[in-house]
Amino acid sequence: MGLLVGKRIFSIVALCMMVGLLLLPVVVALPSLAIGEETHAGDAAKKDGDKVEKGRDVYYKTEGIVSGAPAPKTTDGVKDYPRYNFESRVLLWFANQQHLYYGSFVLAVPIFCMIIEFMGVVTKDKALAKRYDQLAYDFIKISLTAYSLTAILGGILIFTFLTLYPAFFSYLSGIFRPVMHIYALMFVAESGTLYIYYYGWDKMREGFLKWIHLSMSVVLNVIGTLLMFLANSWIGFMMSPAGVDEQGRYLGNIWHVIHTALWNPLNLHRILGNMAFGGGVVAAYAAYKFLASKTDEDRAHYDWMGYIAMALGVAFLIPLPFAGYWLMREVYAYRQQMGITLMGGLLAWLFIIQATMIGILFLSTNYYLWQAMGRMRGAEKYQRYIKYLVFLLACGYMVFITPHTMVMTPAELKAMGGQQHPVLGNYGVMSAKNGGINVIITTTVLSFVWYMRGNKVSTVSWAKFGNIFMGVFFGCAYFNIIFLAVYGYYIPANVRVGLSVPQVATTLSCLFFMFALNSFMMKGAKQMGPIEWGKISARSQYALIMLATAFTWMMGLMGYIRSSVRLFWHVNEIMRDNSPWAYTHTVGFAANMISANVLFFWITILFVFWLGSLTAKKVPVESKAGIPGSVPQPAPSH
Amino acid sequence: MKALMSLGALIGVAGLLLLGGMIFDVVPSNTVRLVEGYMPIQLLLEVACFVIGFTGLSYMMNAMGMALPRFWQGIGFWVFLMLYLKFRVYPPIPFSVRAMYGTVGLVTVFMWISANEEDWNKFKQPILNVLDAQTGMNRLLRYAYLVLIPILVGGFSYNAMMPKSEEPIELRTVHPAPPASTKVHGKTYTLQTSQNPYRVNPEGKYDQEFSNANIVEQGMGRLMKPNANPWDDKNQGYLKYVREGGEIFFQNCHFCHGDNLNGRGLHAFAFNPIPANFTDPGTIAQLQETFIFWRVAKGGIGLPNEGFPWASVMPPWEQHLTVDEIWKVILFEYWHTGYYPRTWD
Repeated sequence: MGLLVGKRIFSIVALCMMVGLLLLPVVVALPSLAIGEETHAGDAAKKDGDKVEKGRDVYYKTEGIVSGAPAPKTTDGVKDYPRYNFESRVLLWFANQQHLYYGSFVLAVPIFCMIIEFMGVVTKDKALAKRYDQLAYDFIKISLTAYSLTAILGGILIFTFLTLYPAFFSYLSGIFRPVMHIYALMFVAESGTLYIYYYGWDKMREGFLKWIHLSMSVVLNVIGTLLMFLANSWIGFMMSPAGVDEQGRYLGNIWHVIHTALWNPLNLHRILGNMAFGGGVVAAYAAYKFLASKTDEDRAHYDWMGYIAMALGVAFLIPLPFAGYWLMREVYAYRQQMGITLMGGLLAWLFIIQATMIGILFLSTNYYLWQAMGRMRGAEKYQRYIKYLVFLLACGYMVFITPHTMVMTPAELKAMGGQQHPVLGNYGVMSAKNGGINVIITTTVLSFVWYMRGNKVSTVSWAKFGNIFMGVFFGCAYFNIIFLAVYGYYIPANVRVGLSVPQVATTLSCLFFMFALNSFMMKGAKQMGPIEWGKISARSQYALIMLATAFTWMMGLMGYIRSSVRLFWHVNEIMRDNSPWAYTHTVGFAANMISANVLFFWITILFVFWLGSLTAKKVPVESKAGIPGSVPQPAPSH
Repeated sequence: MKALMSLGALIGVAGLLLLGGMIFDVVPSNTVRLVEGYMPIQLLLEVACFVIGFTGLSYMMNAMGMALPRFWQGIGFWVFLMLYLKFRVYPPIPFSVRAMYGTVGLVTVFMWISANEEDWNKFKQPILNVLDAQTGMNRLLRYAYLVLIPILVGGFSYNAMMPKSEEPIELRTVHPAPPASTKVHGKTYTLQTSQNPYRVNPEGKYDQEFSNANIVEQGMGRLMKPNANPWDDKNQGYLKYVREGGEIFFQNCHFCHGDNLNGRGLHAFAFNPIPANFTDPGTIAQLQETFIFWRVAKGGIGLPNEGFPWASVMPPWEQHLTVDEIWKVILFEYWHTGYYPRTWD
């Protein structure tokens, strides 16, 4: 009894410490922020003999007291751009990308842990609850090693900035000075919270203590998300500066500097992207372990782990294109020039590559689900229809990747009779592409629904009506998506952009309504057979590895696109890049560089996985008994 | 069911015969016309018809005890796709796009034939048979592949490495990003915010809704809206400016851009690429009016670096037209094509 009370006190103290850590940066920084602002303004006033200089915000168009130095006008030389005998930009690109990969991973995995741990807490089946708990623990264990690497890579990134781009870095850190220490302290809070969360796992395994532990994961994720938002404000400022005047002088309002035109869309896009990426990496880890497994029991465990990670990753992948559309819409609204450079100009070909990667992600997901139906008895009834899903996916994919301006020889150009192909050129514009991607996503939802009901037969009295309703609903959804895609050619471009809303609504309706209806129909359904975890083809695991690699590659690509859209600006229209590398790389060079980054990340993450396996925690005997595979189990996870 | 499948099989046979005719140049590609305005969806529907046809054919062959092995089904469908793209679609599709579609086709055929173990085993079986070489025929095939595959790979490599005299492929940026502002006849125009001064309602105020309602209707008819004939002398305001823009267009632009604004003017085929086709939804329909103003005013030589290889012979019309004339001709182009300039509201 005394021990229990002691544990309770320990966990409450631990949670309070976490909240304290979370608040610490704010408490410490707020007074200094206020003092800092007054001091800057005061200093400026003193220097000008009590005459306050005012400037106009380039974005918000408000007036503010000039509180900082103008953006430096750099020149190509060792003073502003010290260098090795190598392209500095490539070094920075490498350091930045690796830091981002690891940063995304360690921010995403705790969110997974939170979700999985929560599922474990609310699940009534004790064996299943333990499996969820063990899975969440496995996840956080992987992320702990990655966390140290993230910090190391962050250090390397800062050193690279300081060494190779001192003028630019000093300007940027000057602008963000009021929040620089908040950022650093958030790291301290994140680390402290993570360690308490990880090392307190066993002590807070049961009852009330488990809820306290779960609350810790919420705090951990709040800190992580705030940290990411702060980091995003830097890139948001570089793309769409605000809070400074035309010369780049800080005007004393740090919120304007942070809350730029693109900050919110970037935040949303990155949260979803990180989650999808994290899911992909963990799924690849599970796939790797599955392929290397020697026993049926291990195969069953890693098959299940891969499925959960994939499902979580895809759950965040589905809304990702819509968040992307919002980001692009805001980019266009901010600067037409920037939007055209991205989607119709210099970087348009990279978007075709991006579309290809998105398609690969969805194709891999569908393929995995079809393979996964192989481990269910009763799912055979759906196999004969898979070819039609393949057809829908192929059509959607081909439309989605068709370039508007095609790569061709002058002879082909002449034979075609114009720059745009009169038939296929129509697939190259946004209206068709919206239709293409929505068809792909809706088909993925359909695959999921089939998977969820694979080994079950509904026993509700209205099952027949429910099935017909679902079929008609999906049919109408496809019709509506394709109709709107065609209709888009007949209306003004600004209205056409708005058409993506009903298209997205159609797709999301399929997702939510069909999942909900299916769940109702499958409540108390007759089981045709168990899910035989571990009895899945090796091809499915390669699909998971493909999924993860495509995520990694796409993240590298989109990061490059987002960064290079500034063209020859360090800070768009404020601070010019005068280094010898202020040009846009060729598509080929960029693709090779992204591939090199992806390769390096995967080599190092394999090292992390290996380190994780060195400290492998023995699975408790009672929870092992619950792992499906050795003994057939009823379908539990959906 | 059988009747439906028979119908499907009939469609499949008819489609294959037609495609065969196109491949061997017996039947021209445009025998079944790709109808302007419906071409993209028509193409997809055609491929869907073929898929239905193949399903019907497969069913009927099964029923007759002549089932086509899964191996040949997979390969056959991919070959069909490549031949369809090469011989059915006109004008010819550039190789780069066919290669993209071919790769997607290959991947999706793989997804189909390996979606479950049974199908995958059926597909693999002929390959494994040849590798195992248990029969004389398979042994012969194995030796044949041993010789043919290296020759094929060598042939492709030789072909790829051989120096060619062809012009290199181009990654042309048709719509390079415009500058933030442009100076024409001494006045600076901010492209994000400038407006066409002639896009006005009867009260003389800028009104895109009003002008949108008076453009030529879209679709195949392309008729003028009732009471919106610019050549009616009584018309004032927007429609009058459209008429003036039309006069400027036919005095200066139609030689290249064509009477129907489709890029097929009298001199069009003297250039490669031919002039822009304004009736294509990928040209003026997706651009802001100020973008067109900048392109017309500055012409091909005014393209930025991004516009490499600057394959445009369009003159800088600011040297020949006034600012008002440029705005009016743009007004006419949108009116005639039935498109609306892009806006961001």
